[in-house]
Amino acid sequence: MTVFSLVLLTYFMVVSGFVYDVIVEPPGIGSTQDPATGAVRPVVFLPGRVNGQYIIEGLSSGFMFVLGGIGIVLLDLALDKNRARSVKVSYAIAGISSVVIAYVMTTLFIRIKIPGYLRN
Amino acid sequence: PFFASNTTLVAYFFGKEIWDSGAGLVAAILIAVCPGYISRSVAGSYDNEGVAIFALLFTFYVFVKAVNTGSLAWSLASAFGYFYMVFYFLDWVKHMLSDTKLFQAFLRITVTSAVAVGGIALGLGMVSGYISPWTGRFYSLLDPTYAKDHIPIIASVSEHQPTAWSSFMFDFHILLFLFPAGLYFCFKRLSDATIFIVMYGLTSMYFAGVMVRLILVATPAVCLISAIAVSATVKNLTVLLRSKNKVVQTGSTKGSGGSKSSSKALLDQSQPFQKNGAIALLFGAFYLLSRYATHCTWVTSEAYSSPSIVLAARGAHGNRVIFDDYREAYFWLRQNTPQDAKVMSWWDYGYQITAMGNRTVIVDNNTWNNTHIATVGRAMSSYEDEAIEIIRSLDVDYVLVVFGGVTGYSSDDINKFLWMVRIGGGVFPVIKEPDYLVNGEYRVDKGAAPKMLNCLMYKLCYYRFGEMMTEYGKPPGYDRARGVEIGNKDVKLEHLEEAFTTSNWIVRIYRVKPPNNRW
Repeated sequence: MTVFSLVLLTYFMVVSGFVYDVIVEPPGIGSTQDPATGAVRPVVFLPGRVNGQYIIEGLSSGFMFVLGGIGIVLLDLALDKNRARSVKVSYAIAGISSVVIAYVMTTLFIRIKIPGYLRN
Repeated sequence: PFFASNTTLVAYFFGKEIWDSGAGLVAAILIAVCPGYISRSVAGSYDNEGVAIFALLFTFYVFVKAVNTGSLAWSLASAFGYFYMVFYFLDWVKHMLSDTKLFQAFLRITVTSAVAVGGIALGLGMVSGYISPWTGRFYSLLDPTYAKDHIPIIASVSEHQPTAWSSFMFDFHILLFLFPAGLYFCFKRLSDATIFIVMYGLTSMYFAGVMVRLILVATPAVCLISAIAVSATVKNLTVLLRSKNKVVQTGSTKGSGGSKSSSKALLDQSQPFQKNGAIALLFGAFYLLSRYATHCTWVTSEAYSSPSIVLAARGAHGNRVIFDDYREAYFWLRQNTPQDAKVMSWWDYGYQITAMGNRTVIVDNNTWNNTHIATVGRAMSSYEDEAIEIIRSLDVDYVLVVFGGVTGYSSDDINKFLWMVRIGGGVFPVIKEPDYLVNGEYRVDKGAAPKMLNCLMYKLCYYRFGEMMTEYGKPPGYDRARGVEIGNKDVKLEHLEEAFTTSNWIVRIYRVKPPNNRW
């Protein structure tokens, strides 16, 4: 169990672009100036390219991936016969909702990041 | 593509070996469309990595097969594939020598002698200078900051950059969810084969995080482990579906009330909507997989199927505009220059000029000679008077630059220029990167550094550009790739003259003027 959680932690770090953050040292979050008012607005997703990121967007996407993975694990645990019924039901609900949320959020993120996603 | 289809077959057998035939089928399907692999096996981007991944997967498959069956034939076959001969042989020995003590003694002797001999050989090699420790490209995998500080030419290749989350998502899509789930299933059913695939998966994912290009190597592992997750989940769900039918049958034959204690009845007694839930989840799983397939086909058509020598863009009304400037320039070179003319450009275009322009280049994509490339980089970053000395010493006749200011093409030489500075500065300390920056910022407009505004690359790119109207409502000399009006519009060239500029100004060729006659 401990090994698996360590593995998950490493996976989270790799997939959220930790190495990219260490080498390229992007800002935690980007900023743009509103042309009309001159106020500074934060920009979460680095626009324009697939191979760049800000730190926070990397971490949140990595969290979504791990959440989806945990959701599937929960689903498997829910089908385990040796647990009480209420635990199984709650695992099943948590698992399904995790996968759904993770998938929806990830699709949303990638659609924000790549404006022409799934459009010819 | 032939080897890519073979990879799919091997993936099926590998999955069958590790888990079961269902996982094998899913693995084959996943790897067939995974963009991570298609990027290196599609026609046009086909590189020796397409074959290498097939060989890698085949070797690993044979290795696992040897571990599982313990037969000599499989062991020898895998030894042919790679250099893990010792491991294979040892495993066969392990199965042959049923006496563990004998095997342990044998193992101890073999390993110590092998390590001793290897260590002595390595030490001798390094001391005598025969083997140099870890060439730069591979060392940067262990210490990712190494290339950035010490070897700019490796750091400059965009595929060697560390990976951002979106690159992972682009190449893997839902496999990123299935990978940790698959790891969980592997941990649940530990065997030699699953341990192997977990190790392969984890190490390859780490290296894929360090360098974008290595996503390719991680792809087979991710596909296999994801296949395990899919197969196990689908199996769980279908067991749910099937068990209800069996309970109904036993209930009808044995009579009511007798089958409560049966383990299969445990499921539907308490949860009457079990079957519907399982069907819904199965539909959900198939939906996710179909989204994956859609994503993969879109990625392949958009990102990995475009030629890189003919550029395409969307016009203002959504129509497709084609820029064929590269071939225009190369064919101009082929037809309008002397046969023995030598062309100096940045190394990215070397092979294209050689193949299509049929002229000698100074540096090309075979980047083994760093000093030579640094010399070209130094020439491009110097003032024209210093640069012409280097150009004449290299016996160059034509200089070629790529310029995206008119079209907004962002992979041009001005955007790559800082790499030329860094690589040149790595060998010739007279070139210093801060000279070209203003407060750490790279600019080409009025506020740019004076060295930047007068270096050869700037002059060659922006010659006569100051009078050019590029966009409605913007002043002349507006650089569409950088989004600024350039700082030095009055560019005069003394030792070079313009020979050819393509129709969209993307490629510009200059002729080196012969030295003035001296009285």
